[in-house]
Amino acid sequence: MLVHSRGARWAVWAVFGVLFLPLFALPLLVVLGASFATHWSGALPSGMTVANFRSATRGDALDALTTSLVTAVTASLLALAVGTWAALAAARLKERHRRIVDALFVLPLAVPSVVVGLSLLVAFSKPPMLLNGTRWIVILAHTVLVTSFAHQSVSAAITRLDPAYEQAAASLGARPAYVLWRVRLPLLLPSLTAAAGLCFALSMGELSATMMLYPPDWTPLPVLIYSATDRGALFAGSALAVVLMAATLIVLSAVSRVRNKASYR
Amino acid sequence: MSSGIRFDSVSVAYGGNVVLDSLDLTVEPGEVMALLGPSGSGKTTALRAVAGFVRPVSGRVFLGERDVTDLPPYRRGIGMVVQQYALFPHLRVADNVAFGLRARRTARAEVRQRVAEALEMTGMTAYARRHPRELSGGQQQRVAIARALAIRPGVLLLDEPLSALDARLRSGMLAELARLHRELPDVSILYVTHDQVEALTLADRIAVMDRARLRACGTPAELYRAPADEFTASFVGGANLLPVTVGSGGVDFAGVPVKVDTAGVAAGARATLCVRPHAVGLGEGPNRLVGTVTEVQWRGATHRLYVAVGGQVVMADLRELRDPPGFGDDVALHFAPEDAVLLPAGVSRG
Amino acid sequence: MAEAVCRPRAGGGRSRPRGAGRASATAPRRYRWAAVPPVALLGLFFLYPLGLVVQQSLHPDTGGTSFRAYAGVFASASFRDALGTTVWIALASTLGCLVLGFLLALVIAFVPFPGARAVARFADVYLSFPSFLITLALLFLYGTTGIIGSFPFLATPWGVLLAEVTYFTPFVMRPLLAAFSQVDTAQIEAASSLGARAPRIVARVILPEALPALAAGGSLVLVLCLNEFGIVLFTGAKGVTTLPMLVYSKAILESDYPGACVVAVVNVLISVGLYGLYRLVSRRAGA
Repeated sequence: MLVHSRGARWAVWAVFGVLFLPLFALPLLVVLGASFATHWSGALPSGMTVANFRSATRGDALDALTTSLVTAVTASLLALAVGTWAALAAARLKERHRRIVDALFVLPLAVPSVVVGLSLLVAFSKPPMLLNGTRWIVILAHTVLVTSFAHQSVSAAITRLDPAYEQAAASLGARPAYVLWRVRLPLLLPSLTAAAGLCFALSMGELSATMMLYPPDWTPLPVLIYSATDRGALFAGSALAVVLMAATLIVLSAVSRVRNKASYR
Repeated sequence: MSSGIRFDSVSVAYGGNVVLDSLDLTVEPGEVMALLGPSGSGKTTALRAVAGFVRPVSGRVFLGERDVTDLPPYRRGIGMVVQQYALFPHLRVADNVAFGLRARRTARAEVRQRVAEALEMTGMTAYARRHPRELSGGQQQRVAIARALAIRPGVLLLDEPLSALDARLRSGMLAELARLHRELPDVSILYVTHDQVEALTLADRIAVMDRARLRACGTPAELYRAPADEFTASFVGGANLLPVTVGSGGVDFAGVPVKVDTAGVAAGARATLCVRPHAVGLGEGPNRLVGTVTEVQWRGATHRLYVAVGGQVVMADLRELRDPPGFGDDVALHFAPEDAVLLPAGVSRG
Repeated sequence: MAEAVCRPRAGGGRSRPRGAGRASATAPRRYRWAAVPPVALLGLFFLYPLGLVVQQSLHPDTGGTSFRAYAGVFASASFRDALGTTVWIALASTLGCLVLGFLLALVIAFVPFPGARAVARFADVYLSFPSFLITLALLFLYGTTGIIGSFPFLATPWGVLLAEVTYFTPFVMRPLLAAFSQVDTAQIEAASSLGARAPRIVARVILPEALPALAAGGSLVLVLCLNEFGIVLFTGAKGVTTLPMLVYSKAILESDYPGACVVAVVNVLISVGLYGLYRLVSRRAGA
């Protein structure tokens, strides 16, 4: 323990609380409180109601939630497939080539999401690949944006994977495809599910590229939250935000259950 | 299937750093060959060259008559057990053992039968439904061996298989391995170890490796009684290595004439006299050396004396003494001429 | 003993085997082409569109010569303002996140209190929420009908800075907590038994261990701040325009695609350049 005296320890904790609570806990509590309120002018929200939620779970809002969920699930699975493939293939390359592939796949992370949106708009607004105005351009943007994260976490897991397993499998007569399917992927499963959860959460909250691209019939939840707050409906927006957070957390905890089942050590 | 292993001038290098230098070695079908040497001696590299995980820069590796140098590991049909076992953590014991058979698309009924056989042979039948993490180190070791044997390899490669076990389990597993080999007399075993006891216990022949090279090769008795060089003498069993000058019919050690077979060594040459510590006796006798005790170690059944004789320290292992000499006492040592071997003068070792 | 088949070679100079010098492969290097499909997909859906953006910025479809669009954008005050604002907010936010994240992670790891683990998990959950939630909450706290009061600062860069520090600090805490769990407590005990006080232990023992994690977290936060859009959009402040905001407003609100592309190129160059630089520096610092 770093701080030994009792007094000093309490002082450190007090500073921690003063920094942590207003900065991190308060915003979430405020959004949560506001989602149940109609007014907030005093210290506590007033006019408690569940009406915000009633409207946040039907009609446009429900469509937006479904849109977000479908987009996030599709984009995460696509990103996971491409990112994992790239990471597995890169691990077999020579050091120099591997670095190039890794750098290429980190790039979407460094490029602003807004620019990713703009570039897709520029590239896919004309035939032969006319995606602009369809849901696919939103899903595509989300996939591009989260592929970096999928690739990075799977890549890190591959470097941690003990080569003794695949060598043991090869010495037992297993061809590389068999080793991949029966040994490497099962051993990577915990990392794959973690990556999937990360991708899903990022996609659920994605706003920047989506704002550039979304067609009227494919409005994800964050866009709806923005338009609510933009027209001053802060309480309705809060309720939508709480629905978004809840949906994200539910899926994440389901994913982490799968992960716990899949981890062997 | 019995095949044996042959290294034909096999060299392995990483970026110009030679880790295995022109190894020539044959393991006969059904033979247990120990590759014995300190770490970095190239012994594991030699094993991995057989398995196919390192590719020689020159030379060929044969399994039986088959040149496997260019074959990928999965086409070689060898069994291998490594230090940390590398059991697949996501598979149960039975599925681990069945892995190699399923990878070859063996018929289901035969898989079942051969898995049962392999588990029976290693005494792990009761653990078939367990996951590897639920097993002790010794049990994991047995599963790893069962997994390697299930594919009925002609060649079994064991890479320091006992070094992850504690000392008591190790001697039990040694006996177990010896029993397995009696049950599978056709399987050639290449056994990599740095432990001379394991090598002496298990091997039909020992190949002593040092600094990427094969130093000596022979039966345990040959290497122990008549080591070819200083490295082999000290690595296999431990030895007094005394610098001597060759005379006629004997040698001169620190001014004392010593009787020993000098056949094949020119008079006047420098040489090294190799005497095992347990061959040295206390008191009067042939080849008498007088010196001062510098240290006495009691090792239970034996006493080891370190005696300074003419600037050199001579070690003597004596059956437990009732009244051992103390530090600074002058004592006389002796050894029989036939217990001493004359080696070429030491290539000095770093 | 089969003398012929194992001949120990006599000592002497070590001969270089034929062909030595090249690293021998651990396994046959096949499947080299397996990397092609994912890279091709990335090329089609990311690199090619990005290339088109660069091309549009130089040769707009609307006609005109290269660099005209650049000259126009560079000459505008709104662009220069946005450039300055973006860079200083990003740098200040990164610094704030590093300091705050280091302090908080330090307490969680080395002066643990009941519930410290829950707090660490809370930071993890934080990462999975979108950034604009923070601005939404700040609107309640400090907005025009704010609880704490109507502070005009929310519409200034300071409001964005506060939101970014709040949102991105967990991105620094996570790698730091992972690094701190690797610090040998015996080292800290040894240092304190030698009479070192807490600040000295932090500076001499903990900080060096944390440097790679700080570098990694810092570089990530820097680039995320440079590219942050949601926080700025939600403040609804006309006074704060960052480069991503400018890209959005030029493209969507003004339909000025060449101008948007120019700003995009500048934004990408800064982000990727700074990120690359940071990676280079941190790799050297971490090594």
